[in-house]
Amino acid sequence: MSFDPLPFDVLQGVSTWLKVMIAIVGLVLVVSIAGSLGLGLSGPVRVFKQLFSAIRDISEISLRRVWALAALTAREAIRRKALLVFGLFALLFMFGSWFLSGGGEKADIQIQRHVVFVFTVITWLVLPVVLMLACWGIPEDIKARSMHTVVTKPVRRVEIVLGRMLGFGMITTLVVAVMAIAGFIWIDRQVSDEAHGQLVCKVPIYGKLSFLDRQGNPASSGINVGDVWTFRSYIEGSTKAAAIWDFDRLSEASAMPLPPAKDGSEQRGLRVQTGFESFRTHKGLIGSGLLCQLTLVNPTTNLRVPLPAFEVAEYRGDANVTPLPAMLTYYDSEARKNKTADLFKDIVSDGRLKIEARCLNGEQFLGMARPDLFIRTADRPFAVGYFKAVVGVWLEALIVVMIGVAASCFLKGPVATLMTFAMLIVGVSFRGMVDKIVSGDQLGGGPTESIYRMVTHLNQTVDMDLSKTVTGTIKWTDWLAQQGIWLVQQTFPNFSYFSMSAYVAKGFDVDFRAAILPSIAVALAYLIPCVLLGYFALKLRELESK
Amino acid sequence: MNRLTSRQRKLVYLGVIVVLLVPIIILGRPASGTGSSRDQGVLAQLRTKYDLGENQLGQVDPTSSAMNLVLLGFRGIAADLLWAQADENEQTKNWAELKANVDAIIMLQPHFVRVWQFQGWNLAYNVSAAWDLVADRFFWVKEGAKFLKKGRAINEKVAQIPYEEGRVLGTKIGRADEWKYYRKFFRNDPNTELYKGGPDKDVNPKGTDNYLAAKDVYLIANDLQAKYPQSISMLDVLFRSYPYRSQLNEADALQREGHFDDASKNAWDEGYREWVEKFGQEKFFGPGQIEYHLEMQPRDVQEASAAQNTDPDEFEHWVMRMQNETRYPYWKFRSQAESAQLMVDAHKLIYDGEKLFVQGKLPQAKDMLFRGMTLYEQLFNKYPVLATDDEALEEAITAVYYWQRILKLEFKPVQAQYPLAVTYENHKGMLPQIESRFKRETGQD
Repeated sequence: MSFDPLPFDVLQGVSTWLKVMIAIVGLVLVVSIAGSLGLGLSGPVRVFKQLFSAIRDISEISLRRVWALAALTAREAIRRKALLVFGLFALLFMFGSWFLSGGGEKADIQIQRHVVFVFTVITWLVLPVVLMLACWGIPEDIKARSMHTVVTKPVRRVEIVLGRMLGFGMITTLVVAVMAIAGFIWIDRQVSDEAHGQLVCKVPIYGKLSFLDRQGNPASSGINVGDVWTFRSYIEGSTKAAAIWDFDRLSEASAMPLPPAKDGSEQRGLRVQTGFESFRTHKGLIGSGLLCQLTLVNPTTNLRVPLPAFEVAEYRGDANVTPLPAMLTYYDSEARKNKTADLFKDIVSDGRLKIEARCLNGEQFLGMARPDLFIRTADRPFAVGYFKAVVGVWLEALIVVMIGVAASCFLKGPVATLMTFAMLIVGVSFRGMVDKIVSGDQLGGGPTESIYRMVTHLNQTVDMDLSKTVTGTIKWTDWLAQQGIWLVQQTFPNFSYFSMSAYVAKGFDVDFRAAILPSIAVALAYLIPCVLLGYFALKLRELESK
Repeated sequence: MNRLTSRQRKLVYLGVIVVLLVPIIILGRPASGTGSSRDQGVLAQLRTKYDLGENQLGQVDPTSSAMNLVLLGFRGIAADLLWAQADENEQTKNWAELKANVDAIIMLQPHFVRVWQFQGWNLAYNVSAAWDLVADRFFWVKEGAKFLKKGRAINEKVAQIPYEEGRVLGTKIGRADEWKYYRKFFRNDPNTELYKGGPDKDVNPKGTDNYLAAKDVYLIANDLQAKYPQSISMLDVLFRSYPYRSQLNEADALQREGHFDDASKNAWDEGYREWVEKFGQEKFFGPGQIEYHLEMQPRDVQEASAAQNTDPDEFEHWVMRMQNETRYPYWKFRSQAESAQLMVDAHKLIYDGEKLFVQGKLPQAKDMLFRGMTLYEQLFNKYPVLATDDEALEEAITAVYYWQRILKLEFKPVQAQYPLAVTYENHKGMLPQIESRFKRETGQD
């Protein structure tokens, strides 16, 4: 894997959400009250009256009315020919294979290309359609005065907003579902017979990674061999350097059938899969890969069970899988004889297991990151991971619907479209850059420091030649600006969670805690503010102002 | 104030549309099926005149054309974004996405020759080097060659693309550190499931030697360069030497692999014949439009300069310079000398000696190497030109290096006098490279 699926911290997510909500709601309240003071004391009273009225409206939401509005919205979307998108989709899939060469391609590359193609097509066909629908619905209703009729009925504004969101959500669900099913069938038919066997979803159990340096002392990371991409760090061969993975919660329940033993007998156990990278300081033996040896260690008794060394096959997907049968025979170099150990009784202790990886070739290095070694439990069908990843696209489209509907309550169609599109683009493409600015990792400092550097033509890597007080003041103002940027950044959805196709493309099941849970959390986090924003905007606006 | 009624306005619009249509039809009428210029619009005629039509540049890829049409004027932006993505994917080792990016870039810019050159090179050299196992590396070398082959079909008049393809098939496969594997894989692809032990027909349709496959595409490059005058990245004479050099390289590679039979002898004979009779007789033009060929002897130069009414010294200077640029005399001499029995014996003794060393048969290896060194010294004395050739020197000094390693293992000193002693002392600069190769091939430090 070229990314680390770290589990989502729900508590931290909720606390960040609360912080942002409190900051924004507080800001809005302060501005509203300050603005209303122009009317004297009755101003703030009106503000609070509106708040109480909002609480009443929300508490009295009728699901029946919401459903009726949602059904109408869905019908309206169909009348506006939203489903024509299927035509474009069919066209792309009819000719999609033209874009993807097939003959002689490696199986894993073939699968990746087809999966990425399907998800790219679904995402970028669905998002613009739902964006347009969501952003133009309410402004069109206001323009055509049909909204005037609706608001005279016994229906609350919050129900109109919710009804719109639900209605467009239903259309989104239909479009995504049909496309996903068609995409699945297309992949199944397009992928060659040789690659078909690799259409599975691996279910990994990841450990915690730590390192030993060449003297055998604990180290925070391995060696940097100069690779621009610092995802992996390296251990040196024929030294005491090692990478150690600590697993917990392992049990016999994770055991699965393994290939038959040499004598033909059936066996069960675990599988360890590795995907290390090789780095050679000299060519060495050209025809052979670098050798790696794994050692299983009981964390309590310190029993060490070395496994046979294997040649590292870089970027080859499933080439390096080591079976761990329940009864392991190994050579004890101290006792100088073969011994047998029970995997679940002698090696795994209270569900915990350590696996050490070493490189055996002198002056050569093996690179590794946390997801590069995992215990592979029984595979799931490809469809499982595929449809989980579709959930990501669906949730992403729902967020676009929520933002679009909220924006259309106070903006005209084109402006709402631009705003929603900007939020989508910033959330998808510029998250990394803003993260760097907020965390202070961006070279050249924050806004004040950048201005100083630009004016004085000072390189980003050179220290500012200023007094301590001036430098301190610049840093402080930048810190303040960073807090503001942080707050703004939090209002843009983090779309990186939603793109789950990378799991499926690499043959993995989509991790619930690392991908699906945060996606659901982000979607829910946007539901409340979007509904509130839409509600207040629709309630306070002058409908005649088109 | 507008006094026209709605209907009148519409009629005016219609009139304007019809008037505007006339120049559009005259300018933009497409080329007709007969291709007669009378039936073509002005733009189509200009396209035909300057060979700018898609179908005149090479095979038309409908996907590429459709994509460019759909993108309207945003092709440049899309291509830029794809380049950035390709770079990112290469850095993060997402090879499948990189390949997809490269294919998409080329759909947007099918006639941008530098893109074909750069990405073909990138796949064959940089991406292949990022993989560790030889079979995987070979796969990416092939991807580079296939990519250039595709570029050749889409740009049927560009000589530079088949030239680059020839370099991947010839130099990359035949001269990389992994050349022994690559040359074998070229004939018998390591993906036995797909190619059943045979070659990958996409890069080696004839199932032949890599240098001969390279020769075929170099010949295509030469034909295109002769047929469609165009700017190439090097001297004309050098560019056109590559097919013939490939034939010589094949002979050399056969020897490097230990073939000292008729196959290598025939390859050298064929190489000599093509070098002297074909390449040596090709006409080239020098400064002041002098017409010369590389096989010219001093007397030919005198006669030609007199006939062309040019300064004989300048004529001779130019011919000699071009002969040196192409190493014409060296290859002529070498292809002739390699057929000599003395040369064949020297190669064979050294090759066998090195092989015996790897097998641990040190006394026999020492004897073979010593005899090979003796013959090589005789060759250097007999053909002094040979003593200026890097490949011959490398072979000779490697033999001395192996021989000295055996003496060291036997705890015996190296005598002051031994065959090739002077050559060895004069070219010690080659030792680091030889040591590295020794380490690689024997697994010893």
